[in-house]
Order: sequence, then structure tokens, then C-alpha cells
Amino acid sequence: MTSLDQNAVRPLTGGLRPRNGSVEKAQGRMGLIFVSAYTLFLVVFGILPSLYAVYLAFTKKGAFVGIDNFIKVFKDYRFLPAVEHVGVFLIVWLVGLVFFVVLLALVVHSIGIRWLSSSMRFLYYIPGALAGASSVMLWLFVLDPTVSPVGFILQAFGITSLVSAVQADRLPLVLAVIAFWTGAGGWIVVMYGALNNISKDVIEAARVDGAGPVRIAWSIQIPLMRKWIAYMVVLSFAGGTQLFVEPRVLSQASRGVVSQDYSLNQLAFLYAFKQSDFNGSAAISLLLLVVAVVLSVVFVFRGGLFERA
Amino acid sequence: MKLKHTLVALSALMAASPALAAEGEITIWADATRQPAVEAFQADHPEIKVNLVVDDGSSGASGTFQTKIGLADQAGEGWPDVVFSTQNNDAAWASKEINGVQPFAQVLNEGFLDQAFLDGFTPGALDPVTIDGKVYGLRNDLAPVLFWYNKTLLEQFGYEAPKTWEAYQALGDKLAAEHPGYFLGAIGDSFEGPYVYYWSGQAPIFQVEGEKFKSDTSHPDAAKVSALIDHMVANKTLTLDSLFGASFVASADKLVAIPGAAWYAGALFQNPGGVNAKAGDWVAAEPLYWEGKDKVTGNVGGGVWYASSHTASPEAVKTFLQYIVSNEKTAGTGGLPAYKAAADAWLEAQASSGFYAGDFKAAISTAAASVWNGWGYPNFSPETAWAKVITPGLAAGKTMADLSAEWQQEMKNEAQVVGYTVD
Amino acid sequence: MSALDLSTGRPQPTLSPGAWLGRVFAILLLLTFAAFFVVPLIWLLIAPTKTDRQLLLEHPFAIGDWPTLVDNWMSLVTFQNGLLWTWIGNSAFYCIAALIITLVISIPAGYALALTEFRGRKALLATTLVVMLVPGTALVLPIFLELSAVKLIGNPLAVILPFSFFPFGVYLTYIYFSTAISRDLLDAARIDGANEFQVFAKIAMPLATPVIALVGFFNFTGNWNNYFLPYVTLPGRKAPIQVGLAELLSNVPAFNPTNAASTTISLSALALATLLAISPVLIVFLFSQRFLVTGMTAGGTKE
Repeated sequence: MTSLDQNAVRPLTGGLRPRNGSVEKAQGRMGLIFVSAYTLFLVVFGILPSLYAVYLAFTKKGAFVGIDNFIKVFKDYRFLPAVEHVGVFLIVWLVGLVFFVVLLALVVHSIGIRWLSSSMRFLYYIPGALAGASSVMLWLFVLDPTVSPVGFILQAFGITSLVSAVQADRLPLVLAVIAFWTGAGGWIVVMYGALNNISKDVIEAARVDGAGPVRIAWSIQIPLMRKWIAYMVVLSFAGGTQLFVEPRVLSQASRGVVSQDYSLNQLAFLYAFKQSDFNGSAAISLLLLVVAVVLSVVFVFRGGLFERA
Repeated sequence: MKLKHTLVALSALMAASPALAAEGEITIWADATRQPAVEAFQADHPEIKVNLVVDDGSSGASGTFQTKIGLADQAGEGWPDVVFSTQNNDAAWASKEINGVQPFAQVLNEGFLDQAFLDGFTPGALDPVTIDGKVYGLRNDLAPVLFWYNKTLLEQFGYEAPKTWEAYQALGDKLAAEHPGYFLGAIGDSFEGPYVYYWSGQAPIFQVEGEKFKSDTSHPDAAKVSALIDHMVANKTLTLDSLFGASFVASADKLVAIPGAAWYAGALFQNPGGVNAKAGDWVAAEPLYWEGKDKVTGNVGGGVWYASSHTASPEAVKTFLQYIVSNEKTAGTGGLPAYKAAADAWLEAQASSGFYAGDFKAAISTAAASVWNGWGYPNFSPETAWAKVITPGLAAGKTMADLSAEWQQEMKNEAQVVGYTVD
Repeated sequence: MSALDLSTGRPQPTLSPGAWLGRVFAILLLLTFAAFFVVPLIWLLIAPTKTDRQLLLEHPFAIGDWPTLVDNWMSLVTFQNGLLWTWIGNSAFYCIAALIITLVISIPAGYALALTEFRGRKALLATTLVVMLVPGTALVLPIFLELSAVKLIGNPLAVILPFSFFPFGVYLTYIYFSTAISRDLLDAARIDGANEFQVFAKIAMPLATPVIALVGFFNFTGNWNNYFLPYVTLPGRKAPIQVGLAELLSNVPAFNPTNAASTTISLSALALATLLAISPVLIVFLFSQRFLVTGMTAGGTKE
């Protein structure tokens, strides 16, 4: 959920003009002073922790051990299932997210009734206020058939207890629904903005040519939203690999039916706090971090959203 | 300017926040079940300020105790002075130095507590928390499994109380056929399966020899237990509800009998929020056994009190520990106290109250003396694997026969992660 | 998609059956999803007015009564001597402190990136973009390990400082200043004799209110809802409300059955706690909706 904008990031060089050298110097000094605090934070809470994780991941008790920590983690019987859990969740969630966000944004955008369109966006967006522990807490109630406001839907799926709601084969879907509930609204608003950006003339021309709403959406609107969809997918993918609080709270509430080692971050957490193995923990964190950074770098330099970065 | 003021105020706040606890003030982590006993201590010892933090008591092997201590170790502060855990195996990690931080658990013998006091425990009660002669915790209660039955209902139906697992299963068949809806136990929590059925049934599925962990769910003695569970789940005389869940409580008047720990006395039968039994209905009988096998039984936790090696109030901690395990009114927290004198008093009180029919004292004493010693106390619990594999499996209609190999594998995997060798 | 142009007042051609069906489908779809997003929240507003028994037995949307709400409130605020207030107070302290620091470091940084030239500007901007897209959670354990090595775990700074590192805020400010303020304006001020700091203070800052609000909003809501970082870096009584909320779970018999009924938290009290935990963010959301939606799509809506 951001307010990124391809138009906004425009070349800065146009503003440069010949000017007095001392002013430029003063400006350069001021700039450096202004960014110094931020740069310090960037180093201390962005770059140093990453480097320290690298150091821990390749050492044991301070001695270099190559990729031993990684081998240990790969061999851990919990690792592959955790990768699988996160992977299945990501697929279910991303497919659902892209499909429904685009569909809903198109439909909301097509409503001519202003108040209806804006109130729909508002309603979709409000659950964004709940994230982390509180959204899972609310969903515990929704998923427990004995108190659920939608108990009849759960019954229809044969869910008779919280345990059956969170059993292994349903869990990716359940997690995806929770994530969608919290995050989709923000993206619908962003996509709506992107749709507003499309010139009305183009749409009108297509309509005159006899294109129906579905065809217009498919051939004109969706291609023009592509960068934004990619942006959503990249951010959501990176975020989704980090799954932690949702399975953790569900594990607590289901008394272990959702296991404590469900996701990769949970496993890294267990390494740190149950096995007291910071090196193993760092190895897992580093894997996740590398995925996130690679995605981010590729997107920043190839995604087209930040052309002037 | 305003901003600067705010920042100054904030930093002042930050500096002021951590106040060190003075001697005479102790922080206790315990579950809700232990709360009345802790409050009794506060009433009797107003000179000691108690700060009780209620948690889950690590039930279901949730690991709360260990992870919270791990966090405090990193913070270098925030350790409690006393911790209660429902699990019996925490000494395995709490006795070890972790990442350069001293072991959490205070060694309680060798001078911390009087040996004379420690000798007051029922022989063997401290075995699960003793490592290389060092005692790391005090048992709250002994939790041998016995056989509880509702005499009134059995007489009304015209059935004999079973003495063996075979007779128990046969009773289930009759009940299912003649009085459907009535039932003989629950298997919805993660502790009943492993401890009440497999341990009591002498199944060699959770054993430790030195650094080696062994589990054999296909052993004939284990397979017998699995078959019993499958049979009784199929005819619905074993419910998949949790013992303390709403649906179990709602159908509690149809509970005819149940094998279970000594602490079921207070926790289940004499609990208005549980079975809420009528005086004279229920009998605590000697444990069930397999025909032709040893007369042994299992054990369901019993819980342990630990003292912190970081405490700033050792005297208050000592006073608390001695009180909590030996005070005759509250020791055992509804079960059989591990401390001998308190146990005798509790048994006496139970017998004289006449709440339970039959020879309550004899049954409990027999059970306490016959806990099968083939069960191990490694640094992990069979409960997590049960919750992960069996609970959802049974809920989805699978059987122990289908699931036990997977359960065994899960336990072995867990053993390997914490450093045991397995076959 | 003119099929839905109901309000424009233009004479509408008679709808073909297909278009009519399409419109019905669209409306149904929107309403279904509106229900999906809103029903759980409505339920959450109602639940604290009921007892657990009513929650289990009555219609989910039947409203309970005032005395029950008061009961639930009392049981919650008296729980462990008002621990809930401690948690909420902690959250407020951490988030507000972080908010102030964030603004103090992000606004000048964004300004400098947008409107001044200095060595390393491009590199800093690129790094900011990359770090901004890396989810915060990915850095939690590395930050924990780092803070643990310097013995800062357990200190409020272990939450406040990482909360104050907010590259997205810098980026938002950068975008804002590079579109809202022209360099000519700054140059004019310089010609009038203003020094660089005065240029920032007199020209840029008065125009910065919208972006301050925007950065503040995202920083505050994100931090308030953060669970993982404070969970590992600030355990115990110093925990913020999100961590506390999860701790409450172990006192709820429905999710963690125990045999004691003494000081447990009922389901409806848990629902109330959830509501309290989210209320600051929810209120911010409700009242800043218009400006936010404008903010989120600032570039998107303009041609």
C-alpha cells in the first residue's frame, strides 16, 4: 500500500543550471547534513544487521564454517515442509489476490454512481486497520464454528471445530483469506487510482469500435495496470515469505494442531529460542532476506515503476 | 522547541522505567489452575509481595517457559523468580548454560533448601527433575493414572466396573449398543493419548537410554493400545472433545467412567466448571491393566515449580517454594501432593469427606506406587507430535493404525533436532 | 464499462439482457465482498456486549446489553492489575517516540534527496528504494541478533529505534518535494539571501504538512500493528499491546482449556481486548480516509 507514482519520479537533472560554486557547495553540505541521520539509521538497522546475519550464518562460535549452518538447516526435517507450507500459501494467496483485486478494482471503477463506488472502496479498505495479531485474533472467532458470525458457511464446508478449520490441507487457504481480508482493500484503492489514470479517450474509442466492457478491461485496462500489478505481486510475495504471526497465533489457539514450525520464520525463531542456535537462525533469516532483496533489486531496476531511481 | 522538550521527556521516561525488584518481592509465572494456591500464599505471607503472571503453564508442551526464558536471557533481565510448568521435562534444558547465560533453574538441594525438607517428598517424586544428583525443581503433585467410574450409572445400567483394559473395551461395546451417547473417556487433548493410554498400557513409544531416543509404535504392546483407541473411537465411547472444552462439559452427565490422573479429582469431578459430580457418585479405582501383564500405570504431568538462579530474593523464593508444595490446604492444587505430609493430609481429607465412594486412599496409593518406569523424560514432549499428527488426523476420521507410524516418525524427528540419536 | 453508468443523467439506451445480467452480477459481486470485508468487523463490535453463553447460543448479530459490556470491560481492565493498560501505554510510548524520530530524520532526508545535490545522492536513493521494498519482517531476526550482540534487548530503544527506520517515509517525502516544490522557488529564496537551512525552514516546511501527515500515518499504523519485532526484542511487561493480545490467548479457556475458572478471560472479553487493541489505528483510518485515499493514489489520480 503506497502512493508510488511513475509520473512523480521524473528527472531531476532538468533543474540544474549554471550557478555560483559556493551556493552549490553550501547545498551539497546541507544535503549531506539532512540525510546524515537517516543514513545512520539505514546503516544501523538495514545494512549492519544484514551483514551480521551473513557473519553468523557462515560461522559457528566465531569460527568460519563455510556452508555448514545451511546444510544443517536444509537437512532439518522441518525445513522442506516449512518451505512447502509457505510456497502453497503464496500460490493460493497471490493468485487470489491478483484475480480479485483486479476484478474488484475494474468493477468498482465502472460504477457510475459516485457514492457507491467511494463507499465500496472505503469498506474494502477498512480491515487494513487490523494487521498482525489483532487480525488473526478476530479470525479465530470467525473460524470457530461455535461463535462464528458465518457459522453456516463453515458448516457447509464441513468444518465443525476450530481444529478442523485449521487442519493442514485447509490452512493455506485460511491464511490466504486472512491476508486478503487485511490487505486487499488497500490494493483495490491503488488499482482504482491506476485505472483513473487511463485516458478516457482511449476507452471511448474502443467502445465506439464496439468493444464490450470485458474486452476493454482485457485489452486496454489490464495491460495498462501491469506495472502496478507487478508491484503488488512483488511486495506481497516478499511479505508472504515472511509468514510468522498468523501461524504462531493459530498454533497457540489450536494447541499445537498448527505446529510451531509451520513457516520458515517460525523455524528461525525456534532455532534462536528453543535450540539456542543463533547461527542456524541466521542462516534461515539470511535465505529469506536474500529472496526479499533480490526481488526488490530486480523490481526497482527492471519493474519500470521507478524509472528514475 | 516543543519537539526537543518532548524528546527530553521521552528519554527521561526511558531511563526511569526499569525498577529493580527489591528483596521480598517475587514474580511468579504459573497457569490459572495454580492461582488459588498462590493467592493463599499471599494471604498467609503478606510480608512478601507477589507478582503473579498467569500463562498457559506450557501445557501441551507449548514451550512457553523455554522461549520466554530464552527471551529474558537475551534481554539480560525479566526473569521470573519462580516458574510453574505442567511439563515434567523442563529440567533437561533449564539445567544447562545457554549461549553463555547461566542455567535458569536454581539447584535446590546442595544447600539452597534444607535436605530434611527435600526428604519430605514421596520417594521418587523428584526423579524427573533430578539430573546427576542435582534437584532442579519441586513436583507440585503426583499424577498417576487411575480408573474413575460413576458407580450410580454403572449400577443403574447393571454393569460391572472393569479392572482390565480388555473389560474396559468390552464395557464400551455394551454401552454403545445399549446406551448410545454414554461414554468412557476423552482423547481430545494432547496429554490423554500418550500418558493415559500408551504409558498406562506399557507401550514402549517414548523411551530414553542415555543419549538415545527410542519409539516403537508397532510394538505389540503399543499396537494393543492403538487398537483399543480405534475401537472405542469408532463406537463413540471415546470422545474427541477436549476434557475442559465446552462440548465435553455439556455432555459430562453421560460420562460413565474415565481412566485419568489423580488430579482429575479436583480439576474435573469437584470442579463446577467441569463434570461437577454429585458426592458419592464417583469412585477412584485402581488403575486398569492388561490381562496377564504387569499391573502398571501412567502419569500425566503433575507439574513442577522451578526457582530462578537469577533471583534477587532467594529467601522469599525459599519461603514460597516450601509453602506451595507442603501447605496442607492448597498443596497439590487439586491433585495428590508430591510432598508426603501434605499427601497424607489430602488423602485423609478426601476419605473423610466421603465425596468419593470406594477406598479412595488405597486406590491412589496403589496407583502412585505403580507408575511404569519405562517412560522417558527427554528434552521434548510426545504432546507436540500428538497435537500435530494425531489430533487433526482423528478429527479427519483416520485411525491410530493409520497414523501411528507418522506419529513415531515425528517424535523421532523431534528427538534428533534436540540432539538425541535415534535408530 | 458504461453498463453501470446510472448516475450520469445521460439518457440510457435500453439495456440488453446481457448487459442487464452483467450489471446485476457486478452489483452482487461488490456487495458480497463488502460483506466479506465488513461482517467480521461488525461482529467484533457486537461481541463484547454479550456473555460467552450468548455468544455460543444466540444469533451472531443479536446485540447483547450494556451491563454485560460493562462486566466484560471490568474483567478486562482488572485482569492482572490492569496489565492491558500497561500494554496499551507501552504501545503508545513506542509508537509516538518512533513517530517523532521518524519525522525528524525522514522529512529532511526526503527534502535533501529531492531538492539538493550532494555526493552519493543517487546511491542513497537507490538503496532506499531497495530497502523500502524488503518487508520489515525479513530484518527482524537479523536486528534481534545485532541488538543482542550489543546487549540492547529489553531496552525500549530496541523497539523505538528500529521502528524509526522508515525508508518508505523518506521515499514519500522525496516524491512529495520533487513534485510539490519547484527548484525555481528555492532559487528565488536563495537570491533573496536565504541560506540553505532557511530555504528548508521557510519555504519547504510550511508546504510539507500533507506529507508529514502521510508519513506519520503509515509509520504509526505499521508500528502499532507490528508483532514480531517487539515480541523478540522487548519481552515481558514492556511488551506492546499486539504481543500482549497474543499472550491473553493463554488465559482464554476456549483456546487453552484449563480447569480453573478463577481469572480467565472470556471470549467476549477477548473480543473487547482485540477491539481496544485496534481502536487507535481504526480511528485514524476512519477519520483520515479521504486524505489517505488521496495520498495513496496521489500520482495515480492526476492526469
